[in-house]
Amino acid sequence: MTAHQSLPKGFEDLQPFVDYWVRDTSDERWQQRSKASMEDIQCFYDAMLARAEDAIAYLDAFPLDRMPDDAACLFKLLLAIGQAAIAVEMHRQPRAHHSNFPHGINISQGPKFFGG
Amino acid sequence: MSAVLENEEILEGGSRENFTQMAGLDTGPVSVESYRSPELYEREREQVFGRAWLYIGRIEELPNPDSYFVKDIEVRKASVLVTRDKQGKISAFHNVCSHRGNLLALQPSGSQSRFTCAYHGWTYRNNGELIGVPDQGRFFDLDKKKLGLKSIATDIWEGFIFINFQPEPEVSLKEFLGSYGEVYAGVPLVNNHQTMVIEAKFNANWKLIADAFAEAYHVPKMHPATLAPGFAHPVKNKFARPLAGLTYGLHRSFSAYGDPEYVSPPDSHVERLACKIDTGSLLGADLSEEVLRLRAHPGVNPTKLPCWSADVTWIFPNFNIDYSPGGYWTHEFWPTSYNTTRWVLTIRMPIATTVRQRLQQEHYAARWGEVVLEDVTNCERIQKGLESGAINVMQLQDGEMLIRHSLHVLDKWMEADTVAEAMK
Ligand code: FES
Ligand SMILES: [Fe+2]
Repeated sequence: MTAHQSLPKGFEDLQPFVDYWVRDTSDERWQQRSKASMEDIQCFYDAMLARAEDAIAYLDAFPLDRMPDDAACLFKLLLAIGQAAIAVEMHRQPRAHHSNFPHGINISQGPKFFGG
Repeated sequence: MSAVLENEEILEGGSRENFTQMAGLDTGPVSVESYRSPELYEREREQVFGRAWLYIGRIEELPNPDSYFVKDIEVRKASVLVTRDKQGKISAFHNVCSHRGNLLALQPSGSQSRFTCAYHGWTYRNNGELIGVPDQGRFFDLDKKKLGLKSIATDIWEGFIFINFQPEPEVSLKEFLGSYGEVYAGVPLVNNHQTMVIEAKFNANWKLIADAFAEAYHVPKMHPATLAPGFAHPVKNKFARPLAGLTYGLHRSFSAYGDPEYVSPPDSHVERLACKIDTGSLLGADLSEEVLRLRAHPGVNPTKLPCWSADVTWIFPNFNIDYSPGGYWTHEFWPTSYNTTRWVLTIRMPIATTVRQRLQQEHYAARWGEVVLEDVTNCERIQKGLESGAINVMQLQDGEMLIRHSLHVLDKWMEADTVAEAMK
């Protein structure tokens, strides 16, 4: 869990999403999106998308493996939009049509840097 | 025997090669009994998984002298210890202590040159030799030389480690792979830099999920949002017909269609944001300079048509290596009972060097997870359908040729008393 994390200066508008969407692994981000309501996913998606290019530009200043805590927090929040997009852009609902949740599937090893 | 489509137009007109008959297979309905019968599963355990060469891991999983890993192979009720010794030799053993049968190595992987049993402390070198027995003098005629770990036949092809549970395998790995091993030798396995792994445990016969990856016929219906936009075409190929379907002795492949003109839809903002870097393909996380070398290999995309997305190659009985412009991935479809499966999908990708590339990989991981979810959930439904007894046979179209070939080869192994006979 990643409680009480703060975002870099200039990204305060995204702070309401930190508690739910900032997670350490790809698998946890998948879980979070899968159990969220479409409303919440859309709300996060819209807010994060609006700041995504700013976030990428800000984060590009740091090495991927040595980010200060506030930058890492923003990075993890940015990564969560990869999950939110599946719901918003593909299924137009939180999970694949006719799929089970919970299920016995895990991303047991995610991509390096906050993938788990 | 082989069949490939010769040009893209054939797909548009709807005419096609007949891959099934060109592979020498018949065209009738096929029994579903082996998907639901506990008795046939018991027979598969012996006749197929007890005799075939089985993929167990990649050489990169043993990066250094004294690296090891342990994997459970439920279908053989085996715990398998695979080691690399000081000389670099890779060997596999039953992970079972010769004293009273305790499991020896207890971590899934690591680095050590010797293993000490947690029960009474018998110690083995990573080449299997028993080297230490506490209070040995109290045993009766103990011959340490004969009490090494029980070894399992091991061989390597293109960095893929295979094992065989026959005490003396009737055929070598080279013979087992046959022409498959020749055609796909030397494929540049791009971006072997890091692996992403998705694992699924679910309630369906192992062949159902293997079958789901053996055809693209289901893609437009089953994966309408996750895959169909890139792997079918509303006009040119709305049923995602394959470009080629080939058999190589026990093994088989098909070339999947891909829309070369696919661009992310305008309202797929994140897909567009994440894919601003050149990744070679939609379902890929690799950089395209490396794709050219892959595409140049004669075994890969044998039609050489540009509307190609991936070659699905299925090594008998339960292993896929899939080559695509986005790198390669593998599937291990492990039965855990007649109606349960453990599936391991391992995807290779480069290590991200930029934030945007890492975001692209996250999107890629998310897409794959969702595809897996769609297929797994569907397989569980099929299992229920088949176990109901409502149907006894299934109907297979030409694009489902690989399933027909798989069942044909499995039948032979189920019947044959010797592997030589099964391979005829
Ligand atoms: S069972 Fe291994 S030392 Fe006794
Ligand atoms: Fe599928």
